[in-house]
Amino acid sequence: MSQKINKILIANRGEIAVRVIRACRDLGIKSVAVFSECDATAYHVRVADEAYPIGPSPSKESYLVHDKIIDAARKSGADAIHPGYGFLSENAEFAQRCQDEGIIFIGPKSKTIALLGDKLQARAAALEAGLPVVPGATIEQDNVDKAIEEAEKVGYPILIKAAAGGGGKGMRVVENRDQFAEGLQRAASEAQSAFGDGRVFIERFLKRPRHIEIQILCDQHGNYLHLGERECSIQRRHQKVIEESPSPVMTPELRERMGTAAVNIARQTDYIGAGTVEFMVSQDLEFFFLEVNTRLQVEHPVTEMVTGLDLVQEQIAIAENRPLSLKQEDIAFSGHAVECRIYAEDPQNGFVPSTGTLRNYRLPAGPGVRVDSGVVIFNDIPIFYDPMIAKLVTWGEDRDQAIRRMQRALREYRVSGLETTIGFHQVVLDNEKFRAGDISTSFLAEEYPDNNYSQFSERLAESAAIAAALDKFTNERKIADINGGTNSPSKWKVTHRKAGLRNYGGTF
Amino acid sequence: MAHYLVNVDGREYEVEIEYRQEGYRLMINGESRSVQNHILGQTRRMMLIDGDAHEIDVRSHGYENRKTIFMHGKEIPVEIEDYNLAQLRKTAGMKSGKEVEKVLKAPMPGLVLEVKVAAGDRIAKGQPLIIIEAMKMENVIKAPADVVIKATPVGSGNSVEKGDPLLEFE
Repeated sequence: MSQKINKILIANRGEIAVRVIRACRDLGIKSVAVFSECDATAYHVRVADEAYPIGPSPSKESYLVHDKIIDAARKSGADAIHPGYGFLSENAEFAQRCQDEGIIFIGPKSKTIALLGDKLQARAAALEAGLPVVPGATIEQDNVDKAIEEAEKVGYPILIKAAAGGGGKGMRVVENRDQFAEGLQRAASEAQSAFGDGRVFIERFLKRPRHIEIQILCDQHGNYLHLGERECSIQRRHQKVIEESPSPVMTPELRERMGTAAVNIARQTDYIGAGTVEFMVSQDLEFFFLEVNTRLQVEHPVTEMVTGLDLVQEQIAIAENRPLSLKQEDIAFSGHAVECRIYAEDPQNGFVPSTGTLRNYRLPAGPGVRVDSGVVIFNDIPIFYDPMIAKLVTWGEDRDQAIRRMQRALREYRVSGLETTIGFHQVVLDNEKFRAGDISTSFLAEEYPDNNYSQFSERLAESAAIAAALDKFTNERKIADINGGTNSPSKWKVTHRKAGLRNYGGTF
Repeated sequence: MAHYLVNVDGREYEVEIEYRQEGYRLMINGESRSVQNHILGQTRRMMLIDGDAHEIDVRSHGYENRKTIFMHGKEIPVEIEDYNLAQLRKTAGMKSGKEVEKVLKAPMPGLVLEVKVAAGDRIAKGQPLIIIEAMKMENVIKAPADVVIKATPVGSGNSVEKGDPLLEFE
């Protein structure tokens, strides 16, 4: 029996909340936003049908508080909760709570989230389902000498990972025995602070692997689908920054094998909803199971662009207990899609978060361009949450066209008041190795060891010198606007226009 | 007339600008350029240089001479100073503003997890100085150059705001 959903509460903020609200509107479903103190005028609140305050800015006191989210759902009469990604999206306890309260949780069952959220159990499930896994071991953290012994058996270099981990937090690479004890301590303390769970385990660290993941969709009627892959090898600090589909190294045969593996672990774990099975792929295209993300991924739009599907609508249909309308043979891939994550971060300064007010914000547009932005002009970017402000996605007939469109879009995208990763992306897209598809998760560290992302032609350098000189010249002389010729408007007029603009943020 | 020395990532440009009734006269390294400059706000310019179109954002970072020019989707760091002052400075054998700041400031708000150095330590460029937790990530702040630590005004466990002094160098 299917159950029509009429109103969805989105237990999230930023671009993903906006993304889900858009899907709701497209389906004629009412949307309910929740917001913390600093998000009272955030974009996701502005585009929702209803909005409820859930407390102070720190996420531990608002977006992560189960009671507050459930309260807002009750008040609004929402019959379902979409958790987005991050926050409560992979929280088994919250999923269970929703079920107990009679509210549909748009995601897998609580027990599946719990199982796959624990990397050790997930690894066991993968082995049982016949998936290849990277050599690794569990360790006794209190017994460092014994742990070092285990590490010797697995073989260096070693990756120390949080058992409850995700998003690159609580992960350390250890090159040799001497670094092991410190790496272990740091990974455990980061894991404790990020997840409230300091347990870690170790794995062989593959040299220059690719990160390739498979999107899956599973209904409540035993139908399992995969929607092909996303290549997410361009990472900094183990976090993805550029994703694409298809992968430059993919073949139909490899896709078939990886897709089947992904569907096998989904079956094994009784998976329901949209999910992502992540793999590491070696240079000789051997693949190893990494983990399952039991939620919608940040980078889901690249799959949407090449399959023509709306994954959030699919999630909602599955939550309504409807069978998947597509079969595996109906899934066709068209063209190539690339996503650049636009972060409020300073790439030149080790990608430290940059907070402030968006003094100017102009989005790119045109053929093949999609922007999922969570902010609008004059929004403050708060320090409390993930610093990603938008995802820029382009589609092309082939990889080259998709990349050229991305370069065009990055050129049109303008942000003032914050440092962003726009310039960083432009440099990476120019990189010959990137253009050749010769990438791995070590790509940024290898190509830009000093975080030096200021690369440009002689001609551009000269133009920049002229720009800097003209800027200084006009500022020193308080020249408001001189364009040459005798038609210049009165300087009184332009000075006052400029002063007026300053009140509204300065630029247009 | 104004006369500047502009350094763009190691390349030096001598720029002369004059504003006259009929427009700008601009010379760069002795070559004349036809320039149009439209001011679109506090930080944005639309420039035509010999007909080439450039939409420009000028970003300041709290240093008078250092700016970032954002154009064509790229960040271009520039350093600009008065040409004559630059010549005097060079004659005196002084470095430009590129020398290391004496105070290391917090690049973002966060919690100081660990201060890895003490006053008097000699630290090589790239070595970890301090670890700050922000947005649930541990950020390792590394030495910007070979430095000697003069003072450590914050200890582990302290919260810092962006711009707060973290360390002082000799």
